[in-house]
Amino acid sequence: MRKVLFICVALFLSFSQLLAQTEKGTEISGFFPGVTFKRFMELVEEDTPYRFYYREGDISDVMVSLQAEKSSLDDLLSTILKDKDLYFSFGSNYSVFISKGKKLDVNLSDAFFKNVNQERQRLSSEVDEAFVRNNRFLIGSPVPGKTTAVLSGTVSSLENEEVISGAIVFEKINYKQSVTDNQGRYSIELPLGRHTIYIQNLGGYIEQRLIDLRGDGNLDMAVGESIFSLSEVVVNSGAISNITRPEMGVQTMTMTEMKKLPAVLGEVDVLKGVLVLPGVNTVGEASVGFNVRGGAADQNLVLFGESTLFNPSHLFGFFSAVNSDMVQEVELLKAGIPANYGGRLSSVLHMKPKFGRSDKVGGTGGIGLLTSRLSVEGPVGEHTTFLVGARTTYSDWVLNYLEDRADFNASRASFYDINVNLRHELGENDALEFTGYFSNDGFRFDPDTLYGYQNQNYALKWRHYFNDQIEGSVTIGRDSYDFEIIGEDNPLNSYQFGFGMEQTYLKGEIRQEFREKHLFRYGLHLNHIRLNPGKIDPYGLQSIVIPDQVEREQAVETSLFFSDEYEINDQWLVSGGLRYNLYTYLGPQTTFTYPEGSSYSEQDVTGEATEESGKPIKTYHGPEFRFSARYSLNNQSSLKAGVNSMRQNIHLLSNTSVISPTDTWKLSDQFIAPQRGIQYALGYFRNMAMNKLEFSAELYYKTMSNLLDYRSGATIILNDNVEQDVLNTNGRAYGIEFYLKKSQGRLNGSVSYTYARSLLKTNPDEGKELINRGKEYSSNFDQPHHAVLILNYEISKRFNTTFSGNYSTGRPITLPVAKFEYAGSERVYFSDRNAQRVPDYLRLDLSINLEGNHKVNKPAHSSWSLGVYNLLGRSNPYSIYFVPQDGILKGYQLSIFANQIPFITYNFKF
Amino acid sequence: MKRILPILLIFSLAWLSLSCREEYEPELDASETGVLIVEGYLDSEGLESELRLSRTVPLSSNSKVLPEKGAQISLIGPGGVQYSFQEIGEGRYSFARNLDENLEYTLEIFLSNGEKYISDPMKPIVTPPILDAGYVRDEEGIEVFVNTQGNQDADDFLWTFEETWIFRPRIRSTYIYRPEIDDVTPRTDEERIDLCYKSVGNSGVLLETSSRFEDQVVFRQTITQIPEGDERMMERYSILISQKAIGPQDVEFWETLKRNSDDLGSIFSPLPSIIRGNIHMEADPDRPVIGQVSLGVVRQQRVYIDREDILPWVSTDDQFDDCFVSADTVFANPSSISNYKNVYTTGAVLPVVPILQGFAIIGYNSAPRRCVDCTLYADRQRPDFWED
Repeated sequence: MRKVLFICVALFLSFSQLLAQTEKGTEISGFFPGVTFKRFMELVEEDTPYRFYYREGDISDVMVSLQAEKSSLDDLLSTILKDKDLYFSFGSNYSVFISKGKKLDVNLSDAFFKNVNQERQRLSSEVDEAFVRNNRFLIGSPVPGKTTAVLSGTVSSLENEEVISGAIVFEKINYKQSVTDNQGRYSIELPLGRHTIYIQNLGGYIEQRLIDLRGDGNLDMAVGESIFSLSEVVVNSGAISNITRPEMGVQTMTMTEMKKLPAVLGEVDVLKGVLVLPGVNTVGEASVGFNVRGGAADQNLVLFGESTLFNPSHLFGFFSAVNSDMVQEVELLKAGIPANYGGRLSSVLHMKPKFGRSDKVGGTGGIGLLTSRLSVEGPVGEHTTFLVGARTTYSDWVLNYLEDRADFNASRASFYDINVNLRHELGENDALEFTGYFSNDGFRFDPDTLYGYQNQNYALKWRHYFNDQIEGSVTIGRDSYDFEIIGEDNPLNSYQFGFGMEQTYLKGEIRQEFREKHLFRYGLHLNHIRLNPGKIDPYGLQSIVIPDQVEREQAVETSLFFSDEYEINDQWLVSGGLRYNLYTYLGPQTTFTYPEGSSYSEQDVTGEATEESGKPIKTYHGPEFRFSARYSLNNQSSLKAGVNSMRQNIHLLSNTSVISPTDTWKLSDQFIAPQRGIQYALGYFRNMAMNKLEFSAELYYKTMSNLLDYRSGATIILNDNVEQDVLNTNGRAYGIEFYLKKSQGRLNGSVSYTYARSLLKTNPDEGKELINRGKEYSSNFDQPHHAVLILNYEISKRFNTTFSGNYSTGRPITLPVAKFEYAGSERVYFSDRNAQRVPDYLRLDLSINLEGNHKVNKPAHSSWSLGVYNLLGRSNPYSIYFVPQDGILKGYQLSIFANQIPFITYNFKF
Repeated sequence: MKRILPILLIFSLAWLSLSCREEYEPELDASETGVLIVEGYLDSEGLESELRLSRTVPLSSNSKVLPEKGAQISLIGPGGVQYSFQEIGEGRYSFARNLDENLEYTLEIFLSNGEKYISDPMKPIVTPPILDAGYVRDEEGIEVFVNTQGNQDADDFLWTFEETWIFRPRIRSTYIYRPEIDDVTPRTDEERIDLCYKSVGNSGVLLETSSRFEDQVVFRQTITQIPEGDERMMERYSILISQKAIGPQDVEFWETLKRNSDDLGSIFSPLPSIIRGNIHMEADPDRPVIGQVSLGVVRQQRVYIDREDILPWVSTDDQFDDCFVSADTVFANPSSISNYKNVYTTGAVLPVVPILQGFAIIGYNSAPRRCVDCTLYADRQRPDFWED
């Protein structure tokens, strides 16, 4: 390690010198009064691009005494070395060779390296490999007046010659980097001169190439892949991005990192993993809904590839809906959301789908106490790969436990999900990607009521590479979510309730690099949303329930966006974007009419209005601004600032504090306007100890309008006139987040601390009801203090342990403050909304990952992951409630996991 | 490794006692107590009805109700016609008037501390009659139901009920010890302790909307369920069902009340709602007051159920399973250590079975009072309405 460090420093120093020299002339001026020849050469190296190569002993006694005035080096050397049996020759790239006795012949070198530079070499022997690593490649030819050049090429696998996408090509001086695209191509702009280019391949070793860049050129690289991944590889690039990218509030987690986290019930959970990041919290353990920077759970855009997941949970929240084996990387955008994303106020959680490997058919799987998963991947023919995965549960026995311990009364529950990811290369410049996702949940929550819900998403994406600078993609897809409740309490009143929504979309996007300093992204999103807000039908022959249906809704949404990332100079990198959203709520629809300026109360109704099918009823439109800037203080630290404005046209109607499968969505209509929000953020980012430590501090302030809260006693399900029950609410949130991450070494991990508030206030113009008499109140997820500690210790490459701790202030609740008797029973009188809090939350977890051995030829690689969730066995109250029992009011606190929960999962890969 | 797995599994299973419910005592300052509570459904056809005034009490308080006494209450009709209420004690005020059902009325409350509260204008709703009330016997017990039909004016219904049943002690005794004569004699009718009537008002909120059903027919609306073996079916049981039609505002209040009490605590529970009603303090309309007073016709029907009609029905109550008549005789002879005076004066044991020698009673076998005296649990007074 120490050695590597030294080399890095040495490289760093020498390169910086070189960089300085490339811009200087070759003429030499100066007074050299009796200096050693060595000192002379040093001075020349300082002022000119020349580099000297010599044997120390040859020149030890040569002295120089002369004055130069724009003299050429040739002339000067001829004078100095005259009669000293020393000769000089000029090599390529201003190299000067001093030799004794005989002039050195340097003309061979260019031709010698030529074939290596032009084409990808097939390297079969170790000698060749070593040669490639240590050889300095000459790239391009100089163009007058240019000080930088673009290096581009393809990265491919040494073993199977497949191109490698997602590999990072970078240099370590200014941390310029490029990630290879799906064709394995990269492009990086560097100053002219000598560089060491590093290639980090996910799951591979770091490779390096020495280059001497003289002009634009091509370098194709074949690198080795290995069967186990070095976490170091992945995190390094993140560390560099930490300070160089203009965006803030971007958190990326690879599956490798996520898999190390202790998982509840042993299932690696994509969404739960996100909860360890600063600024993200949740109202409870049995809730996949998460809150980002004081925003509601429905304000998160959860994307799997291009598909939107409307309900990202399984089993009313114990598991997240996405199989971790289908995901390559999870990215959470809390601020600095690029213009190509839109439609939600708080955040974007983007799960990058994984595609099948192209060398052979293989698979991964896991067997846990509650769930099992299996996925198979591989090539089909020469240009197509597939990845198919499925997951299912046998969780009934857990529910039986829950039933005994809490008031779950669930008699059965099950879920499954299926993923299909296909990729097909159409040619050198085109690729088709298909992702399909289907999930199904069914459970009985009490003996007479059966719940079920489905997610169904598919997307087809066509990528086209116009040239090295322009890449385009077109995606067409459909997302749907529906749920159903069947109540069989009494045959006469048995019912079947259903909710459903679907969206069909077309997205076209272009990513264009322009004049090296700009990165444009522009495109168009078209979306058609249809919604069945609720429908009740009699269930069974005897039922006398009258069928009822809230009228279907539909809307079209068009968004145009353009963004530019512009590198003004080494210090400033700015990125700006504009997204224009046009939303139209369409008929058919029959609604009440209200007088102008009324608050849509029942007593305000003046009549009814019907609009025909497809006729626009209400249009909302407006721009969204995205702006962020980075100012590099130095190579290790930067300041960033950003402003984001967002619009959201759909609303989740939920009268509970957690996302539950009975929550329905509502489209903005003539009464309910789109939610709007704007966030201002400021951040300081610093990398320390050679990028091993990453530190960031981010400050944000956010305002939101047109949020929905509910009047007392609101009905949400089967309500034809939701506008009468919702209250127009304003919100604001602010906070500061500190994050320190150590990503290398045997002991690694992160610490984060967040202080944040999230406050709501009923819009003073709301005529129906002012919650807490119009004063500002805490939102359901206003948890001011939140701290997370993650420690990972790698005992050996095959054995590592992770310890995590999670603390947060208890969430606000509305507590009873007094009691009274009414209708023959004792009742509770509640305090102001969210005026009280549940006790603080503290949880420690431990997990151990054991890898099998890494012999290449083993048919299957296996690993065990085991651990304990909630090591302290602390009962973290999830909710507090009071129930009259035999006329006496009793308070209870309910904890979801009140004990240590051990888990074990066997994972395999073949 | 492979051998460890089963052990770990067992270990896991043993520990996997996931969620848990514990008792919770909130720490609160009693700042928001003392909110006025107004409760009542006033019959508009002259049936005597009650309006109850009380105050909220702190959660930790032992008293259940804090009655608001000495208030002056009146119902104001159009043109200022006043109908006064009669205080009948413990915060209860009685009302019995025939009202014109086409007019609007307001309630006015003057508290003894000078505060004045008024209601929103109310219009009586004529409740449709109960079409049928009855019960069904099934394997789970007995379900008492009503059938009714709503109409244009009366769509939403609220049902309340009062239950009364004959309560018998586990051991019946017709004897009483009279200390003044130091002897045991048969009890008079007024002294009977083997036949009582137990009454309980309902504590649930039953709501239904008739327009959910075809022709607004509410069919077999469950009023209450008596689980198999319940003591209520010991001998004869009676339930008085009151049907009250309510308006949409009332429904909102009752649903909120119901939601705040019945539905809390499950994972999917809604947020508690702020409960108010249609009564306001005149000087400070923002001051919290809880209560939704309604005007309308109360429709009542009484249902009787006899144990013979639902047999087999085995009433079980664990608390009396240790009740036996003692084999030790308490002697009439005062010279015996176990004589009437020594044993029966405290009243802890009561004479049950006379011991005869020839034709003479020489003593009694006795049983603990809690097994014999029904007045400990219920009322000896036969209710006026009771039919045998």
